[in-house]
Parts: sequence; C-alpha cells; structure tokens
Amino acid sequence: MLFSSIIFLYYFLPLVLGLYFIVPKKYKNFILLISSLFFYFYGEPIYSILMITSIGLGYLHGLWIDRMKNSKYAKLPMISSVIVSIGSLVFFKYSNFLINNLNNFFSLNIPIMDIALPIGISFYTFQILSYNIDLYRKDTKVQKNILYFATYVSLFPQLIAGPIVRYSNVEAELSQRKHSIEKIAYGISRFIIGLSKKVLLANNLGELEKIFSLSNEKTVLFYWISTIAFTLQIYFDFSGYSDMAIGLGRIFGFHFQENFNYPFISKSITEFWRRWHISLGTWFRDYVYIPMGGNRVSKLKWIRNILIVWFLTGIWHGAEWNFVFWGLYFALLLVLEKLCFNKILARLPAVINHIYVMFLVILSFAIFNGQGIGEVKEILMGLFGGLEIPLYNQVTIYYLKSYGIVFIIAIIASTPLATYIIKKLNTYSLGKKIINLLQPIVISVLLLLVTGYLVDGSFNPFLYFRF
Amino acid sequence: MKNQIKNYIIIALFIIITYGLMLINIFKPDNEISYSERRRLLQEPSFTLQSFISGDYFTAYEKYALDQFPFRDKIRGLKAFTSYYIFKQKDNNSLYIVDGYINKIEYPLNEKAIINAANKINEVYNKYLQGMNVSYAIIPDKNYFLADKKGHLSMDYDKLIQVMNGNIMNMNYIDLFEQLTIDDYYKTDIHWRQDKLIELTEYLLRSMGNELSLTKDEFSKISLYPFYGSYYGQAALNIKADTLIYLTNEMIESALVYDHIDKTYSKIYNKDRFNTVDSYDIFLSGAKSLLTIYNPKALNNKELIIFRDSFGSSIAPLMLKGYSKITLVDLRYLSTDLLSNYIDFSTNQDVLFLYNIVILNNSYMLK
Repeated sequence: MLFSSIIFLYYFLPLVLGLYFIVPKKYKNFILLISSLFFYFYGEPIYSILMITSIGLGYLHGLWIDRMKNSKYAKLPMISSVIVSIGSLVFFKYSNFLINNLNNFFSLNIPIMDIALPIGISFYTFQILSYNIDLYRKDTKVQKNILYFATYVSLFPQLIAGPIVRYSNVEAELSQRKHSIEKIAYGISRFIIGLSKKVLLANNLGELEKIFSLSNEKTVLFYWISTIAFTLQIYFDFSGYSDMAIGLGRIFGFHFQENFNYPFISKSITEFWRRWHISLGTWFRDYVYIPMGGNRVSKLKWIRNILIVWFLTGIWHGAEWNFVFWGLYFALLLVLEKLCFNKILARLPAVINHIYVMFLVILSFAIFNGQGIGEVKEILMGLFGGLEIPLYNQVTIYYLKSYGIVFIIAIIASTPLATYIIKKLNTYSLGKKIINLLQPIVISVLLLLVTGYLVDGSFNPFLYFRF
Repeated sequence: MKNQIKNYIIIALFIIITYGLMLINIFKPDNEISYSERRRLLQEPSFTLQSFISGDYFTAYEKYALDQFPFRDKIRGLKAFTSYYIFKQKDNNSLYIVDGYINKIEYPLNEKAIINAANKINEVYNKYLQGMNVSYAIIPDKNYFLADKKGHLSMDYDKLIQVMNGNIMNMNYIDLFEQLTIDDYYKTDIHWRQDKLIELTEYLLRSMGNELSLTKDEFSKISLYPFYGSYYGQAALNIKADTLIYLTNEMIESALVYDHIDKTYSKIYNKDRFNTVDSYDIFLSGAKSLLTIYNPKALNNKELIIFRDSFGSSIAPLMLKGYSKITLVDLRYLSTDLLSNYIDFSTNQDVLFLYNIVILNNSYMLK
C-alpha cells in the first residue's frame, strides 16, 4: 500500500487512527501491529510470511544474544543473526545478480530464479540487524515482548520506505509514549507536507522523466533537464516519504529521527552525505565503518574501509552494477575531499562549493538512474555531447517552459528558505498569528490538491521501492 | 493558547476531509457511467480467497476506489487547475487550451504510421476500386490551427501531406487544409461542427465531380445544449459546454440508414444518443463498421462509398443531395478482406477516403 493512494488516505488511515485512539493504552501497540501487518499484506501477500519469519528470527536471536551476553560465546548468536538477516537479504535481492554475473564471467548456464523482490526488505532487515547488534554491544536492552518487537519492525509508517529506525530510539516509546494534540497536529502537518512533496513535485518531475525516456527527439539540453528532474524527483520522493513516516510516527507518539536535512545546500560531498538519507549513512557508519576501524587506522586501511562501506551503500540501493559504481563514485569523492579537496573548498566562495556539489550530485544520479551500465554510458554521453544529437530543439524548449515553474518551486522547496521564513515569522506576534491562520488552510488545501492528483492519475510508485 | 487552537483546527479539518470523504464514499451508490469522461466506471470487484491471497483483489479495489471517488470531476478539476494555473504547465494529460478550445497534443509525426495508412488505402484500391473515381482527403486536427499559436508541440503537417501524396496512387487528392478554420470545430470535442460544413461539403462534392450547390437555406438547424465533448471530461476544467447543432431537411429526414452488421434500419440522427456517454453518436448512432444510407428523395442514381472515421458521420448526411446511396465503411472495425461480402463495387460509384490526422498518425488500427 502506498501512502500516496486513495486507499491509504481515505480508507486505511482514518480507520487505523480511529481504532488507535479509541482503544485503551494497552491495546494500542496491538492495533499498530495488526494494521502494519495488513498494510504489508496488502502490497505483498506472500512475502508477509517472510517478514513475519524475519521478525520471529530477529526476536529469537535477541533472546539468545541476551542469554549469552556474559558467556564466552556471546558473539555466536550475533553472528548467527547477521548471517540469517544478510543471508535472507542476499537471497531475495541479489541472487539473480550473482547468478547473472557468474554466468557472464565464467560462461556458466545457471538458471535465473523466479523471485520477486519483497518490498521493504532492505529496511526491515537493517532494523532487525541494528537491534541484534546493539543488543550484543549492550547499547540496548532485550525486548521480551514479541508484540512490541514485531510492532517496532513492522510499524507501517517506516516499514517499506524508511527511515531506518534504530530500536534504541524507540525502545522507551514502544511501551511508554505520550500523545498530545500538539504531536497529532504536527504529525498531520508533517505527513501532508511529505505527501505534497511526493505527489505534487516528485510525481510531476517523474512525468517529465518519463516523457524524456520515451522521446525520439532528445537533445543535450533535454538530457540535462531530465537528469536534474530525476535528481529533484528522487529527493522529493524519498524525503517526502521520510516526512510522511516521521509525521505518522508522531501522530502515534513516536519520534523518528530526521532522514534528510536539505542536502542540496551542502558545500561538500562529505556534508551532502551527512544530510542525505541520514539513517542509512549512520547505519553503515555504526555497523560497518566504525567496527572496521573507521578513520583511526592507516591511510590505506581507511581507504579500504571507505571503499567497502560505499560499495555496500551502492549495492544496497539496487542489484545492478550502476549502483555499485554510484557508491564507488562517492567513495572516490569522499577520499579526495578528505585528502585534498576540503582544503581547497574551504578557500573558495560558497557559491563555487554549491556548484561543485550540485554538479557532482546530478552526475551521480545520472549513474543511479541508468538501467545498467549501457544506459549509464548513454546518459553520460548525452550530457556531455558525446551523442550525435542537437544542443536543443522545439521539444526541449516546450518541456523546459512547461516544467519551468515546477523546477523553480522544487528548487526553492529543496532549500530551507520556507523553514527560515516560518521561523522568522514566529519571532513576531503578528507573524505567529499569520502562521496560525494560514497553516490549517494550507495543510487542508494541500491535502485536497494531492487528492485531485491521485484521483486524476493512477500510478505513482515510490522510487525506493526496489530496496 | 492560540497555537493550541491552530492545532485543534488542523486536526478537525483533517478529520472532516478524510472521514467525510470516506463516509460519503461508503454510503453513496456507485456510479455506472462518467458522462464527463465518456466511459463506464469500475464497479466493486468480487472478493475471492484466491484474489485476496494473490493481491489481485486489492489492485482491483484500488482502481475501483479511484473511479468511484466522491465528487470525482471536481476533485480532478483541482489537479487541472493546479497544473494550468499554478504550475503553468503547457498541457495536462496532453490536453491544452487555447482561446477556449481544448486540444489534445498529437505529436510527433509518425511517418511509419502515415505510410502504413497510405499502403492500406492503396490496398483497398487495388483490391476493389480499380477504374473508379476515387479521391482522398485529410481532415486537419485542431492542433493544426492552434498548436503553433501558443508554442505547443506541432507536428510537421507539410511532411504528412507530402508523405501521403507521395505514397497514395491512382487517386485525386482533395486539400481540406485551406477550407477549414478552428471555428469549424467544437471547443470541447475532437470533431468538426456539422453546421459549419456546408461550404466544405459543396467543395468536396465538386472536387469529386458533382456540380451542385449547397446553401444554408436548404437546411434547418436543431440546437442541443449542453454538448460535453470528448475532451471536456479529460480536461476537468470549468469550460463552457458546446452547443451541438445538427442540420436537417426533408431529404435527410426521409433517408434510411441500414446497419449491415446488426441488420437494422434507423434514421440519420439518433437523438436518444444525446446526453449519453458520447453525445456525438447522435450522428448515425456512433461507431459502426458498415452503414448504407438510402436516399428516397435522391436527384440522381449516383452512389458514394466513404472510407471514414467518426468525422464522416456528421458530413455524410450533408452529401445526400449528390447521391441516392452512401455507404460508410469504417476500417477500424471491418477488415478490408471482408468488404466484397457486403459491397458491390462498380465503376459508377464515387469513392472517398476521408480520415482525420489522428487516425492517420495512428493508422495501425485500420484492418
């Protein structure tokens, strides 16, 4: 089920919210669990069994880790948990990628398996892993209530599209959380803002991207417009979903961590990755990079650590080589920045830093967007005049004009300008009155506009669903 | 304190909108037809255990929920409004509006499809029409008149005509492009207006060798309002509906239309079709594979065969003055190979291939 669907907005959510707030406190987690399982079942009837099994195994491993915590074999259940979780992820997500590559490199003929990628497997697997590893490290306490644990893993606000919620962040709230009018109102506003980013901006930009891919009249300028559109689309898609997850979580009394912090205002790639998909970056930092030594090792080992983390980051995004190259592309940039670029960037005007970041990020999404290496090559050649195509034509200009306002709004919305204005207004009493008056109206209008788009259209998949 | 009031209002509005629309959706009876979108709306899917487990039930229910959403037209209008007036997008679902005319983008020129259309026409000629008086004409779409005006995508019409002329053999080409203006078309529909076609009909008839004149005075006008054309529902904007004006006289009223497939007789104008899913079906009862119009008040024994699309339905009645019998063939529904089962081709018949640009640009639908 998509958040940005009529079924979710006008069937599922009102029913779940109604039930949740009617039932006594001791049944609230049960309502969340049942609705989350149904939410997942709706989109993946068969793979619901896989998720439930993963939850069960994660829970049992948690008990085992806790039981063995003072034994000399304490590592064993943790290793078992990693093998089971990663094994499941590799099987369902990467088997055919591995088979294809084995067949290509070794001229074998291993048959491809008929497996569909279970939605959200990358997210809930990482959540279960983080719980087990944190438990082993004694950074958290075991959760003996399987209902609570299952609620944590399957919680529908973040189940299929993140952010990756650490168990330690919600441990207390699973059993003791407070609800308030302020939280609910904040949650609703945040949810609708996210929904608007997804439907009004991301989907719109996605339409342009689709038009480009079907066009037989591509030009260099059209390649750039399409790639920039994709960069913005993926940002609004993903950050929109994160906003929706955070908003819904807040309605239910949970405080999820922020997942995006205006990444496009970054002045370096290093900073970009502190602002983009924060929950994934910190996950790899805490569970892969730091255990390998982080940057407290020799330079060579540090580069090795960076390469491994970014290889994994890339491949987490998809079972294709272009994702691997995408990850390694950032590895290279991060190494270069650490070694020399940062010193240069510090001396340059901020505008140059921003141009540097945006140029490299847009290029990265050209790599990300290619369906395989062949297409990546085509896109890059298209961007830099390597194909025999004109610089621009009437079609390009038509779509540039048609999407001009969308681009402008999207670019402004990707900066903290609106947040800054609201904060500033809140420092004046008149400003506060204006916000108090406008906010309910704007939120309601946005909800209705989004509904209009949903009823008019029919298909608006979340880009990160392949993860 | 005021923050709390704001919070209560946000929650209240959210509940009103979500619960309100949810409850209306549950309790309102399902609509069968969308007149503005001219199609049947999906009904509630049947529940089976298999479809539930496979997920097909949910997919079907999702589509049904979209179709039956309350205030669907108005809600869709919000998207159209946002698209045109806030985002200032040049088109919405490939529809754009210029001077009150709703148009659908037809771009780019599909040269292969045009050649295919020409080949299909040649095929029909070679099979059945050799030695006959055969003409062809292309009906321009509304984009021809309006696309360039406000910088919308406009296909290469000169190339289209050039390709057709270069590939069609043995026929007389009748150029309609200079005979029509945008005023001859409906604002909310793809089609031309029958009440504006008198001069054009005379021109067509003369081009096919019929020396006769047609004037406005020969017809009386019947106006039907409101006519929501094919683009009206798709556009989802508050645009004034058209008035459908059809022309009639004693000759047209006395004519009989025979449907070769249904084996039924009817009148030229089927007024019951007005205010149905497609009001344009008033002309010859809509999409039909093969019709023959018999003209008991004919001034001669001449016969005409028109290979046509829906545009032909509204112009054929005006051509009755020149013929005792007009046969209309729609190759979208009837295969070329079957024509001799129904039509006696003879050299004293006039033949006209009359297609609009959209059909030619997507000609693979011709059988």
